Amino acid sequence: MHNSHIKLINYLWVFLILLTLFSAYMAERATPGLTSVCIMAIVLAIKGRIIVDYFMELKEAHVILRALMRIYFYVIPALIILVYLFPEEIAKWTVL
Amino acid sequence: MNTIVFSSPSIPARTRKIPGNMAIWAAILAEMSEFAIMFIVYFLAKVHNPQVFSEGPTKLSTLAGTANTLIMLTSSFFVVRAVIAMRQNKADTSARWLWAAVACGALYLIIKLFEYQWNTSQGLSTETNIFYAVYYYVTFNHFLHVGWGTAAIIWVIYRLKTNIYTQEEHEGLINIALYWHMIDLAWITIFPLLYVIR
Repeated sequence: MHNSHIKLINYLWVFLILLTLFSAYMAERATPGLTSVCIMAIVLAIKGRIIVDYFMELKEAHVILRALMRIYFYVIPALIILVYLFPEEIAKWTVL
Repeated sequence: MNTIVFSSPSIPARTRKIPGNMAIWAAILAEMSEFAIMFIVYFLAKVHNPQVFSEGPTKLSTLAGTANTLIMLTSSFFVVRAVIAMRQNKADTSARWLWAAVACGALYLIIKLFEYQWNTSQGLSTETNIFYAVYYYVTFNHFLHVGWGTAAIIWVIYRLKTNIYTQEEHEGLINIALYWHMIDLAWITIFPLLYVIR
């Protein structure tokens, strides 16, 4: 295990911490709106991708497994934005 | 990480590795699906109750949510460092990183209990409205995962201390590391949905 890999993992942890502190700042200070929702969705996508690729070490693993885990962090952020943009339409389609 | 490699000659080797074993991946994918269903319930409840979901996060403790996110991410980092130490044949160092992860798990549980107590003092419960019903269902489910995940890490430390794992063969450690990262992934999704996005 090269020291460069350990350094990368250390830097990624610091980056994840900074992203979380940024999210907390957004929660307390930012005006709710499309911009803040999009930023939060992107932050989630980045955090998920880092954990999947580097902490779970799927970056160079089996292609299907990697795709299944990565897709989660495309779909959930996309749903966050869609639910913000089209709440009434989605509500209409989901009435029993 | 310890890996399984499929024998299909048509796929390059680096795209066929599977960290850990197939059993843990079946569990991880099942749990991720379970959380996905909860997130879909959250989205559906949100579009049908926009006002309640807009106001809900403002009454929760952002401090508790943020602290637990920092703790979960840090515990995942500790687990990665434990795996790296094991690969370097440093079992004692690996155990120390795992104990640090256990401390994080315990701290998460304590903060969550204080948060629930604080909510109760604010008059928030599953009966308050659908936002808090979803909040309690999702976060308590995650709470249980952190509880048994922490217990599983303690089990792996015991196995490490009894020299069951070696530099070459430590699949049990890898499996628990992967499972812990899954618990972390669930929380980093819960945090923006319930605490941040209004």
